[in-house]
Amino acid sequence: MTFALLLRLATQRIWASKLRSALTMLGIVIGVSAVVTLISVGQGAQQGINDSLADLGANQISVTSTTPDGLQDQDMDNIATIQGVSRVSSEVRSNGDASFEGNDARVSLIGVSPGYEAIATPTVGSGRFLPENQAAQSSRVAVLSAIAASDLGVGFDDLGSEIRVNGVAFQVIGVLDDAEGFGGGGNVLMTQTAARSLYAKSPYVSVINIQAVDKEAVAAVESSVESYLRVSKGFVDDDDAEFIIFNQAALQDAVNTVTGTLSLFITAIAGISLVVGGIGIMNIMLVSVRERTREIGVRRAIGATQGQILTQFLLEAVLLSVLGGLIGLIIGLVSSFGLAQLGGWDFFIDPGTVALALGFSAFVGIVFGVWPARTAGKLQPVEALRFE
Amino acid sequence: MSELVVDLRHVKREYLTGDVITVALADVSFQVERGEFVAIVGPSGSGKSTLMNLVGCLDRPSSGDVIVAGKNVKNLDDGELTELRSKSIGFVFQQFQLLPLTSAVDNVATPLLYQGVRPREAKRRAAEMLTRLGLGERLNFDRGRLSGGQQQRVAIARALVTNPDIVLADEPTGALDSASGEAVMNIFKEMNAEGRTIVLITHELDVAAVASRRVHIRDGLIERDDRSPMTAATR
Repeated sequence: MTFALLLRLATQRIWASKLRSALTMLGIVIGVSAVVTLISVGQGAQQGINDSLADLGANQISVTSTTPDGLQDQDMDNIATIQGVSRVSSEVRSNGDASFEGNDARVSLIGVSPGYEAIATPTVGSGRFLPENQAAQSSRVAVLSAIAASDLGVGFDDLGSEIRVNGVAFQVIGVLDDAEGFGGGGNVLMTQTAARSLYAKSPYVSVINIQAVDKEAVAAVESSVESYLRVSKGFVDDDDAEFIIFNQAALQDAVNTVTGTLSLFITAIAGISLVVGGIGIMNIMLVSVRERTREIGVRRAIGATQGQILTQFLLEAVLLSVLGGLIGLIIGLVSSFGLAQLGGWDFFIDPGTVALALGFSAFVGIVFGVWPARTAGKLQPVEALRFE
Repeated sequence: MSELVVDLRHVKREYLTGDVITVALADVSFQVERGEFVAIVGPSGSGKSTLMNLVGCLDRPSSGDVIVAGKNVKNLDDGELTELRSKSIGFVFQQFQLLPLTSAVDNVATPLLYQGVRPREAKRRAAEMLTRLGLGERLNFDRGRLSGGQQQRVAIARALVTNPDIVLADEPTGALDSASGEAVMNIFKEMNAEGRTIVLITHELDVAAVASRRVHIRDGLIERDDRSPMTAATR
């Protein structure tokens, strides 16, 4: 009897007891749909995080001083000459109080040097960003982050109005559309000159932003920056370091590691349900072998070999399992599509996930089908025929 | 016409049940020639089922030789034994034992499929055999839609389709009403008339009467081997 015929026998059998087959498959269905959903959602979410990190610029490095006088304008100029650096800018930071028409808010004050816009690429929702030209640097104009604008009650119509920052009047010239991504706190951005007249001393800066020529240059630039700081400032990279060097690529790697570990963990849990599903199949197959002992006896009597009986039962187990895997795959893809819609990330079908789902369910079917199938194959014809 | 299809020599078959050895066959020797119609007759517990299992190559003797179609069973492994069954034996069971979820024609085709005959050819031969036995109209009926007599005819077709050396029938009329039983016995008579070897196991003397030879068995021993045609007087 050919493989195709044995396969047909197994199919007939599964189809003949639909409810029982469906219930037997349920464990695999749940296991596979869980795995597919979790992997797909994990990949989608990871993609989303990576995209927003890429928006921030994967070729950027920032050096932050933990003391007020750690970094100076001169350091920025020196760093700008390092090989692989394309742009630099600096920030002076502080906290302050802002008010507008009776609304008060505690905000972060960020005084940025010309060139900041090119590196940080802030998205201006309305109005414009801070002036770049030298002549306008001393003007008291401010750009608000979306959160700062809403805290202060600054709307679209209020562009050009004055807010007070630490008691000093600033004209609002722009509001950022930075609700997404990181750093969306209540920020008030102004020119560095204005910041220095208000709260910071020249020539000190809090943060130096560095843009490398490309993503591949980041590591080299970072180590050059590190050795510059070591030589000129006695920088030691430990927990009490006076400087924090940070790059987006490292963050991206960290996020990938976390989501990778998380999805591995989740997959392991879902794998347990596949094993449980496999035990369910084994259980039903053992019952089935017992119920069909007479049939096995008759088949042996009319010429079926041990191998043919074994194959028939093994195929039945594998078919149950793979069918469960297929149904689980469809459910998993549908639910991850739904979740992607809800979560606002892209839905995509990873061929690896599909192969994993089907491959693993076939594997489960074989592993848990072998024992019942062997039991069936090993039945002695005389005993099987006599079985009541 | 002296070719032996079954040759049993001093066959003994014991079973171990717990610590107790039960002797099902003590010492049985008998031969069946090609073309014979033999009934093995005995009450229940006489050892006739054990004998059937041995002749049918479903079981092996504890000692002695069972030679079926020229092959000594004791020299064969499970695969070879299966092949011998497949080629040489056609089984007819008391409870018909048609395969579930399987149409009449597929039931009859199954032994051929196990032999490796192509499905189309197997089905054609199965349909032919069923038609000969008067079931040409019911090829695609499964066992739930066939009467007992019809099921037994399907089973007989399944036994004959491989053209075996021996048709081995175990109480083939046991589950049938007398009219259906008589019809089944007539089929066996016709088959024998065509030259087929038939070994019939029964406890009913009037069923055994159809055979040309009756081997009476009791307590694991052959009591009488009766080759004369049965007459009303000896019944």
